[in-house]
Amino acid sequence: MSKPNMQFSKIRLSRRSFLKASAASAGWLMLPGMGMYPSWAQDSRVLRVRDYGDPQSLDPGIASNLYEENVNAAVHNKLIAYKPGSKWAWQLEAAQSIEQVDPTHIKFVLKPGITFTNGFGEMTAEDVKFSYERIIDPELKSPIKGDWATLESVDVTDKYSGVIVLNKPFQALWMTTLPYMGGNIVSKKATLAAGGKFSAMPPCFSGPYVIKELEPKQRTVLARNPEWKGDPPGFDEIHIFPIDDEKTAEMGFEAGDLDYTRISMSSYKNMKKNPPENSVVEKYPSLYYVWLGMNMEHPKLSDERVRQAVQYAVDIPSILEAAYDGVADPATGFVPPGLVGHRPDTLVPFKADFAKAKQLLAEAGYPDGIDLDLEVRNKAVYIAAGQVIQAVAAQAGIRMTLNLHDSGSFWSLGDESKGDRWKKLQLVLNRFSSAPDPHYAAQWFTKEQVGVWNWERFKNPEYNQLYEKAMAEGDKDKRDQMYRRMQELMEASGAYRFITHEAVPVIYTDRIVPALRPDGMPLLRYFTTA
Amino acid sequence: MLFYLLKRVGLAVVIVVVAVVLLYSMIHVVPGDPASVILGPRATPEMKQELHELMGLDRPFVVQVVSFLGKVARGDLGMDFFSQRPVAQIVFKQLDETLVLVLASIGWAMLLGIPLGCYSAVFRNTFSDKLVGFFSIGVIAVPSFVVALYSLLLFAVTLKWLPAIGAGESGQYMDQLRHLILPAFAIGLGWVGYIARLVRASMLEVLNENHIRRARAFGLPEHMIVFQYALKLAILPTITLLGTGIGRLISSAVFAEIVFARPGIGKLIFDSVVSRNYPLVMGAVLVSTVLFVLSTTVSDSVNAMLDPRVRERL
Repeated sequence: MSKPNMQFSKIRLSRRSFLKASAASAGWLMLPGMGMYPSWAQDSRVLRVRDYGDPQSLDPGIASNLYEENVNAAVHNKLIAYKPGSKWAWQLEAAQSIEQVDPTHIKFVLKPGITFTNGFGEMTAEDVKFSYERIIDPELKSPIKGDWATLESVDVTDKYSGVIVLNKPFQALWMTTLPYMGGNIVSKKATLAAGGKFSAMPPCFSGPYVIKELEPKQRTVLARNPEWKGDPPGFDEIHIFPIDDEKTAEMGFEAGDLDYTRISMSSYKNMKKNPPENSVVEKYPSLYYVWLGMNMEHPKLSDERVRQAVQYAVDIPSILEAAYDGVADPATGFVPPGLVGHRPDTLVPFKADFAKAKQLLAEAGYPDGIDLDLEVRNKAVYIAAGQVIQAVAAQAGIRMTLNLHDSGSFWSLGDESKGDRWKKLQLVLNRFSSAPDPHYAAQWFTKEQVGVWNWERFKNPEYNQLYEKAMAEGDKDKRDQMYRRMQELMEASGAYRFITHEAVPVIYTDRIVPALRPDGMPLLRYFTTA
Repeated sequence: MLFYLLKRVGLAVVIVVVAVVLLYSMIHVVPGDPASVILGPRATPEMKQELHELMGLDRPFVVQVVSFLGKVARGDLGMDFFSQRPVAQIVFKQLDETLVLVLASIGWAMLLGIPLGCYSAVFRNTFSDKLVGFFSIGVIAVPSFVVALYSLLLFAVTLKWLPAIGAGESGQYMDQLRHLILPAFAIGLGWVGYIARLVRASMLEVLNENHIRRARAFGLPEHMIVFQYALKLAILPTITLLGTGIGRLISSAVFAEIVFARPGIGKLIFDSVVSRNYPLVMGAVLVSTVLFVLSTTVSDSVNAMLDPRVRERL
């Protein structure tokens, strides 16, 4: 039997077949069995949130970033924890009671019955002592050692009670140490059994959730702790996705893959106006602070009048409009509104004053203007801010050259240990994170920090004195005045032009009730269903 | 053939060593301190110094390179100082994800591109050929991240047919397949055009050769001539293109991994470079370089196997 001579014209039939096959394949893919159904059909007891990265170290003693704390806070307990809401406050967590008996002694009593998983027994005061004292132990090389810098010891009174003894009064302890990274309590027995520290999976947990799965670059899954005896947590599981890019997270939310995420400032107005179905868009004040810093020891900037000219040539409203889409408010210092030490106003008005800037430059011997370098991190928002500063300052005769850096190189610009690069540093657009006590932000501008994180090389004896006094001062009003004065000294030096504290816009589905800190950061263990 | 293979593998080893030494030198020339990035503003100068010592950054550069190559020879890629996990473990976990994505992308691109190329060549200068040509050039011109964004907007955000982020639950293959469709579509679409154009050009050349004319004269069926005789030769440039294309695919995968928040070696390298996580950068770069060299070696070997003239050229 001979085959017919199959001409390629017959392949035209194959083309149809191909189209039919494609349609059939697409139909098959649409079948529910294939899972190609709307992704909102999720189990309502699973909370899906986005974070910026993977937790790297889950030992609270050697953890140092917020992603780690977001997980640690859900799987461990602290004596006290941040209270969700719009005002900074703390609430009892593992402690049944806690009180400052004198400036250097804090007495605590643990709630009985808090257990560690995997058979490591009940939480005792010994565990509290171990957890806090190990952070100051040089052997551990803890990156959060500074948070407990004033810790002398933790004295155990009985099984559940103890006293935290400080070597000097430290008011910030209540808002930056005990309820934050340094406050997590680990099991002494389990940690010692693990060799004194651990990095990936903790040997046991005591919080309402446990870590069920750690998939780097993919997700972290928390599941209900079956041994938890406190109020039941809101979800069976929490899936945390590491997504650095805001836009990707926004699309993930809109596609129904996330229940809560921070969004970009550029998307806030549009999303607030037209929120995706069944979602809530909110904005929170941030603790971050952004400023234009000037190296006081650079020959071009050693004259205070030149620095002041730069201050007057920077137009804050334009920066906020162009780089922050009008979402962020101007900053008056390193302390944001709502915290002790916040300044109501600045010495230099927010709006640029070109005449004043030109006059100061002329007085300093630069009647034809001055050329300066501005160092900026290569992220869209800072580049936009840098470009606005550059364009506006040019009107006052300050000609700036923008130098962009990735994070790695940026963070070593003013570091003396990295060579003489700091000597060439002139202007830098900087941004630091902070904590809900002014002490945290104030510590980077002391004279001891010159060449470390104090890149402006600001050295003011009064600032240092106030810094030491405010650390110990128990009177809220006095502390407030001290921190205000410190920021005033910084601005008066001409080396700082405070720009903004930014803002934290977030979006979440209306099927959940998020528990957020006043700065919009999530407290996952307190999230519940609506 | 054996001698050719030995020469090709020897060359591959030299390329890997040179590439790794060059890359090691380059990342150390880039300014930036890993200790400052790792430890953040809480770090004291003493803590930074300790971390430098732990990472071996206080040693002379040559010692660091030799030590790294020595460890690699023993199969040890070092430890990641961020997570305290072995670099090899992290890299190979991410490599799986990238390989699946790259193979899925190139797989569907070949499945569509090769028949389209053959069809265009056989029906040269017809309306269908022009349509395929227009489509091919069109998809080549569109960057993969643009395809990624628009496909995400359409299929995930608007229609909600497919998930927007992640790689799916481990062990749940259907879920992983759903998460793979959009990124593989975004990366592979441009390759459909490349392959179709390349196969068309090669086929036109081969279809005019004497042995094809002779096959037609013998009255062999057209589909046999096209698929068994012509395509076997016309596919050679495509195999070469795919071999060298692995590098480009890994680069394209970075965008897809960022846009779709997928794990993968491209994003791992990007994140590690930004954070100056040198052990991870080196481990990931070494593995992706080996992958690239391996794919070109395999494609060259396949070419040499199919075409004896290639063996004599090395």
